[in-house]
Amino acid sequence: MTTAVQLERIAPVARPGGRARSALWTGALVAYLVGTGVLAHSSSYEQGLLLVAAVYSILALSLDLVAGATGLYSLGHAGLFALGAYGTTILSTHYGWNIFLALPVTVLAVGLVGVVIGALSLRVSGLYFAITTLIFTIIVNVLISDLNITGGYTGLASPPFPNFPHALSFLGSSLAWAVCGALLITVTLLWSIRSSALYPALLAIRDSEPFASSVGVRTSVTRVVIFSLSAALAGLAGWTFSFLGFITPGQFDSTAAVNILVMVILGGMNTRTGPIFGAVFISLFPTVVSMNPLWQEILFGSIFLFVIVFFPEGFVGLLARGGRWLRTKWRPQRGRARPLTEGTPKVTEGTLNANGWGPARKGAGGAKVDVTVQGQTDGATPAPLLPRVALEARGITFSYVKGVKALDNVDFVVERGSIHGLIGPNGSGKSTLVNLLSGELSPQQGTISINGERIEHRPAWQRPGLGLMRTFQTAGMVKELTTRDNVGLGLFSQFRFIEARSVIWPMLPSARRDSRRMAAVASTSLSAVGLGEPWSASRLADVPHGIEQLTQLAAACASQPSILVLDEPLAGLSAGEVDEVATIARRLKADGVTIIVVEHQTRFIFEVCDAVTVLAAGELVKAGSAAEVRADDRVREVYLGL
Amino acid sequence: MLQVVLTGLSTGAIYGLVGMGFAVVFYVTRVINFATGQLLMAAIMVTAALSAGHWPVVVAVAAGLLTSTLGGVVIYFLAVRPVLRFNRLSFAWLVSTLGVAIILESAAALIWGTSSLSFPQLLNGRDVNIFGAALTWEQIITIVIALGTVVAFEVVHRRTLFGKLGTAISSDPEMAAALGANVTLHAVMAFAVGGLLAGIAGVLVGPISFANPYLGETYGIYGFIALMIGGIERPAASMGGGFVLGILATLASTYINPQAADWFPFVVVLAVLLVTPNGIFVSGGALRRRFDALRRKPVAASGSAV
Repeated sequence: MTTAVQLERIAPVARPGGRARSALWTGALVAYLVGTGVLAHSSSYEQGLLLVAAVYSILALSLDLVAGATGLYSLGHAGLFALGAYGTTILSTHYGWNIFLALPVTVLAVGLVGVVIGALSLRVSGLYFAITTLIFTIIVNVLISDLNITGGYTGLASPPFPNFPHALSFLGSSLAWAVCGALLITVTLLWSIRSSALYPALLAIRDSEPFASSVGVRTSVTRVVIFSLSAALAGLAGWTFSFLGFITPGQFDSTAAVNILVMVILGGMNTRTGPIFGAVFISLFPTVVSMNPLWQEILFGSIFLFVIVFFPEGFVGLLARGGRWLRTKWRPQRGRARPLTEGTPKVTEGTLNANGWGPARKGAGGAKVDVTVQGQTDGATPAPLLPRVALEARGITFSYVKGVKALDNVDFVVERGSIHGLIGPNGSGKSTLVNLLSGELSPQQGTISINGERIEHRPAWQRPGLGLMRTFQTAGMVKELTTRDNVGLGLFSQFRFIEARSVIWPMLPSARRDSRRMAAVASTSLSAVGLGEPWSASRLADVPHGIEQLTQLAAACASQPSILVLDEPLAGLSAGEVDEVATIARRLKADGVTIIVVEHQTRFIFEVCDAVTVLAAGELVKAGSAAEVRADDRVREVYLGL
Repeated sequence: MLQVVLTGLSTGAIYGLVGMGFAVVFYVTRVINFATGQLLMAAIMVTAALSAGHWPVVVAVAAGLLTSTLGGVVIYFLAVRPVLRFNRLSFAWLVSTLGVAIILESAAALIWGTSSLSFPQLLNGRDVNIFGAALTWEQIITIVIALGTVVAFEVVHRRTLFGKLGTAISSDPEMAAALGANVTLHAVMAFAVGGLLAGIAGVLVGPISFANPYLGETYGIYGFIALMIGGIERPAASMGGGFVLGILATLASTYINPQAADWFPFVVVLAVLLVTPNGIFVSGGALRRRFDALRRKPVAASGSAV
């Protein structure tokens, strides 16, 4: 316990491949610009085709941000696209605005509309969100078909796009540069987000909102902002589209709305390049393939059917499968281990003991007066004087349905540095109490405080900042991420401005460093629960249940909380794994962490816990030391059934 | 006013039937069959083509219904089953069923051309007077058939083991399969019934709409809206949604202007979804809860007085 290992020694350096990687990206950028230059000099027919494909790529990418990563299947993007296109054209031709002034205005305005639609996603989800947003598109479509200012069914002619000044005229078509520039901006933004620490958080919002907010992600705000960003990009697509020819309501109808989603799914949802492939295919196919239009439609539909039936992950899924096959064939397994030498994660203010976790970050760490901490780790930063009680809930009353009290005037007091068991028969209100402590629910009466600070009406995402982390009875984490990435998500609250930095993440040295720190701390935390190399790189979808539970524990512990709430951590674990959890709990306690365990396995509770609170039918039966509770007659009666 | 309501009901009955076609499929398989409107179109086209070939009307209609029913089953095996086997929760079915819709529409246009064909008049177009409102027999029959369909569906759904198993499958297919439900059979039946309902709607609307390959899209959208208004979780509710939609559209075109029928229903749908996101006719919907709460209040008050 006392061998302190400085985290510096295990944090990784800048990746050795970093330079090669940035050279690669620079090369790709140069190639893209050269390609744009070539396009800008090509025939207007070719430009017309490819620029439309580029615009739809922007649109499909923007939709994939909300549909693929955040799980909001929007059919409103055709409407947002229409607002961008019509807004630009009307501002420019009707009100005589300069188009470069119209650009920020339309993008912002469409982004604001996105805020409203995004706020809808807090009320309706899944298919109903798709339907509601489809109605938005239909309403926009009806408006642009019926209003005079939009030119009705005939639509509007595009405003002129200014040519380059003479000095730059060698660049060719200015419009081609503008459209390709917009695509470049979109790709940069979205790929940055995909490589940022926000991306796992988005997936968590999509797959398991309680987990996301338990690690400190502001799920509602993030959703709305992400949707707004996506809407703004759709507005940008609309701005560029307005210069490519006549705009008519038919380009923005419900079919178009579905088509954008089809581009994303067909190309490969939640992938970097999939939406681009899908957009290019769908926008070019009707022009490039020239045959009887009806036969062409039949071929078009058959390709939809064929690709999705045989490659449900779309074009990119097909490519990836091919790629994986090639790799396993040609390149034998190569270790991923890298020398780890530099960089101090912010999360450890003191030291890290041999097992991976240092003293609790907030409170509890130092050897202070009556704090019951055994096996002090050395070198800990002395914590400020903290009350002996770490968490206190008084007079908690909560009902899900009016008149039926799930908890009735319950007191729950947890001493600092102790392991506190919370037991009771099924339906006694344990999980409700845990959800109140973690902020999933808010009590109708009573107070909850951490370190003397009242928190009962604070949202769940603020808990990690207060040093409280929790696990869930049924682990809901992001299946498609590795266990390490899931654990890294547990550190979300430890890094500042992740949301704001995400849009240019790979370009920020600080962000790259944070990513590496996250990965390093996550690996350490995983090895602290006994999950080493083979597991840390496995996708969560591929690991057995016990490993998933331990991963969850590692995620909760990674940020070194001062209070850890474990909701049935033993559910579905093997005997060996139960012993492991017991060891981990004792070790955490030795590090000064206060632990609250909800559990049915009484053997575990009475062996590990210092104090135990017993609930039955929403009421407090007994609270006291493990021995007292065990000896109590009422407890035997209600809980042990004796 | 009564005229408007009755006309609206008869239009709405068509939308409701298509909506139920969507809903039955969704209910069991959690898939929205985007080719439902095209199945309606297929029924109309086959019926029209056969009756143009001097087949008896009854045979033509039966063939039309058979086409859409079998079409539903084919869609399941061709476009839905393979996708669901890969990932039950992905939206990939959107692309595959849409692909089928495109194929059906274009194939129909290839076979029968893009201009409208005549549709056999099933009955003479005489009007019936109901309390001062004039309706054709066709409109009345449409409403009656729609109501009959709802009743038949609800009886099967609530009173038979087959229907109850459908409920079980819709909430948890794996569990239902473990309990011995034949999930595939239910899915096939759902697609068949979905196709049949769309076909019935087609045969009923044919005399007014004539036969055109592009009808599918129009009625598909309206059926879908009926589904949204009613609530997606209960197939019979789609019929209610269809009636609401039909009446609203007729009201709007009568009292606002003829174009209002295009947008007024959508505004209403948006309002409905904002207030009660799961549809009006679904139990536990926000409106329903509020309504129940209002009803319960006096009871509670009298209870406390005692």
